[in-house]
Amino acid sequence: MPIDLNRRQVLAGTAATGLVGTVAPGRGAQAQTSGPRTSITVRVDRDLTNLDPAERIGPGDGNVIRTVHQRLMKQKANSAELELDAAAEVTQTSPTTVDFRLKPGQMFTDGFGEMTAEDVKFSFERIGLAPAGSKEATYKGDWVNLERVEVTGPYAGRIILSKPRANLFDIAIGDVSGCIMSKKAVEQRGAEIATKPVGSGPYQVVSFERQSSVVLKRNANLAGPKPAFEEIAIRFISDPRTTDLALRSGEIDLAVLSPSGAEPLRSVAGLTVTPEPSIAYVWLGMNLEKGPLQDLRVRQAIRLALDTDQMLAAGYNGKAPRLNTLLPPQILGHWKDAPVYKRNVADAKKLLADAGASNLKLKLLILNQPAYQNMALVARALLAEIGITVDVDSQEGGTFWSSGKGDTGKNLDLFLLRFSGKHDPNFIMQWFVSDQVGNWNWQRWKSPEYDALFLQAASELDKEKRAQLVVEAQKLMDKSSAFVWLTNEVNVLVHRAWIRPAAVPGWIDWQYDSFAASA
Amino acid sequence: MPAARIMNSETARYLASRLVTTVLIVFGAMLLLFTLTTLVPGDPAATLLGPQATPELARRFVHDMGLDQPLHVRLWRFFAAVLAGNLGVDIISGRSVVSIIAAVMPYTLILTFSAIGLAVATGLPLGIYAATHRGSVMDNVLAFVSVAFIAVPSFVIAIFLLLIFAIWLGWLPVLGTSRSGAFLDEFKRMILPTVALAAGWIGFIARLVRASMLEVMGEPYIRTARAYGLSERIVTYKYALKNACIPTLAILGLGIGRLLGGAVLVEIVFARPGIGRLLYDAIAERNYPVVQGTVLVTVILFVLVNLLVDLSYSAIDPRIRREAISSAKAA
Repeated sequence: MPIDLNRRQVLAGTAATGLVGTVAPGRGAQAQTSGPRTSITVRVDRDLTNLDPAERIGPGDGNVIRTVHQRLMKQKANSAELELDAAAEVTQTSPTTVDFRLKPGQMFTDGFGEMTAEDVKFSFERIGLAPAGSKEATYKGDWVNLERVEVTGPYAGRIILSKPRANLFDIAIGDVSGCIMSKKAVEQRGAEIATKPVGSGPYQVVSFERQSSVVLKRNANLAGPKPAFEEIAIRFISDPRTTDLALRSGEIDLAVLSPSGAEPLRSVAGLTVTPEPSIAYVWLGMNLEKGPLQDLRVRQAIRLALDTDQMLAAGYNGKAPRLNTLLPPQILGHWKDAPVYKRNVADAKKLLADAGASNLKLKLLILNQPAYQNMALVARALLAEIGITVDVDSQEGGTFWSSGKGDTGKNLDLFLLRFSGKHDPNFIMQWFVSDQVGNWNWQRWKSPEYDALFLQAASELDKEKRAQLVVEAQKLMDKSSAFVWLTNEVNVLVHRAWIRPAAVPGWIDWQYDSFAASA
Repeated sequence: MPAARIMNSETARYLASRLVTTVLIVFGAMLLLFTLTTLVPGDPAATLLGPQATPELARRFVHDMGLDQPLHVRLWRFFAAVLAGNLGVDIISGRSVVSIIAAVMPYTLILTFSAIGLAVATGLPLGIYAATHRGSVMDNVLAFVSVAFIAVPSFVIAIFLLLIFAIWLGWLPVLGTSRSGAFLDEFKRMILPTVALAAGWIGFIARLVRASMLEVMGEPYIRTARAYGLSERIVTYKYALKNACIPTLAILGLGIGRLLGGAVLVEIVFARPGIGRLLYDAIAERNYPVVQGTVLVTVILFVLVNLLVDLSYSAIDPRIRREAISSAKAA
């Protein structure tokens, strides 16, 4: 049968065939969901921006930095406990001195040579001791009390503090600010070190694309045990819905989601959904300097009128654990006997009447995210029952995080706040000292007793005594009634069933180098 | 004076006046932006440095960004730096703003032009068909579909496209970029974002072309062309369509300008880098050097695209050419 085609038909046919050929190979468009594989893709919800330990922006940056660099000591897999990393030996020789000896033969990537004690000195001092005239490191506070680092040999040195510090290992030596950089590389690369880091850790950065991804490749010259995956791509996906779809389609292998975001993925074959308690902390705060909130009875009334469980049901689908004090159970000094306040409208009304407060109108400031919006609506309804009218003020991040600053903070009434934690009580407690009023102490709560306990705990090297000091500090917070503790949140981990992810408990500090594949 | 020379001098004069307008628009936009940055709540030091920042560090940060300077000084410094080819430094990564914009610009340009290209390639024939089959069932169906496309926001279309083509059918990927760099893979990843962005414009162009075509088809010169016995195909495509395209071209100029910085929601849904998303994030972070650089580049591109559109009118319509020549002669 003769086929009669004109030029248009041929062109149209070719285009159609091409299009079908492009999209129709069916699931070829999707990534492989089966495993194990040698490379994986994980999702982060915040763009990675600065991989310089001194100038990092968020935990996501820190997680990459910790896997690219070695530290004298690092956390064991899935633990907050430290073990030796770049150091063969680390000894606290006195309350203010720590001696270290590096393992020889640890090579920096990109041909920057062997790690020496000079690199350790450089890395710690560039954060803790800004040289005169140079820019102060954002994370200078991590190395507070650092006097100097002495080099006593090619691989040996001594960290000297001006006064004892209890969290030196957890916050400085074993964390991001304790990452050992190549002095030569930093001097040579300048500002570029923020996107082209040079380390001696399990992975190296082979690609850094803003708004898109960072790709880590296994460091072939690593002296120690090799990580399981040859390559880890870290994709920035801000939208939880897109994350859900990318997990389903197999384009990403791991993500941390909110309880409500993770719930629909429980039924997806090949995915594992695991809730992990967080060490972030969320609370409703009250400004002690503002009008009627200056009266302790008004604050107590608000605390009694609120129902934490109802608020958590609205904000986190009831999946987040309730918090009754500042420190969550995983942290040293958790006050396990902290009072669990139950809603009592009658007592709340009586307290308000005793305070002579009627027809109160308060503003509740929140970040414009669904969890806070839902909790704020519940709080508004609950407080309305005792005669307090609440106006919910939902703000985007830039405006929200500046609201407690300087004199602007004097105008706050009520607010919902969330801070990230670390495995150290002083790190978490620091935002509530009197010096932080006008900065991060939005309650404007000034307690000389709390400040004293904070300082004592910061330098107390005995764990039990330190824990007791921290509990006493939390009792003072409770007495102030300026805080209604809500939750330390939950991070829901969603990943391919054949991946065994790892993180310091709380799932803020991910351990990419300890990620493994099931056989 | 020969017509060509009159035309050239007139074009040069026109270009010069548009260039002056461009400079004024850019200056006005930047003045507005700098004024807004002084009015908008939110302390960049607090937002970016976070709790770790000491007051001294925050003060230095504000000084380094020049935020402690009066508005006119900041504006003057900015334009002086721009003339030297320097848009400043990203306060988060320490990289130059030029390099950051250059890194995301190709994503934006590709998405913008592919979306507009698809919108024209689809909307134009649909509009012509609707105009030439006025009142038919298909005309009514196209009207309904076009309005639906215009009314539904692009990010909603994006989510539906993802559900259908990435999840149910599994034909196309969810993420709008890959790290493979392979052409075919990148092409596949472009399809859904392009369709999501183009959908509204397809409907818009279809409606606009239909209305313009109907108006032009009633013009006396079309009747004359028909009276000369020209075929309906030639009348429609050679004489009517050309003039009907002029309003569409004007809208396309605006459309390209809008998409250059306004595709942010589609970029977020497809996790795709782009200038709109860069600007959105920079505003949230109060990262002013990136905000200023991005707005400047977007404004310049917007004005240039619209200048090209204006120039293209005279290429399409000889009456506009003649008007230019007459006004030049009169001058």
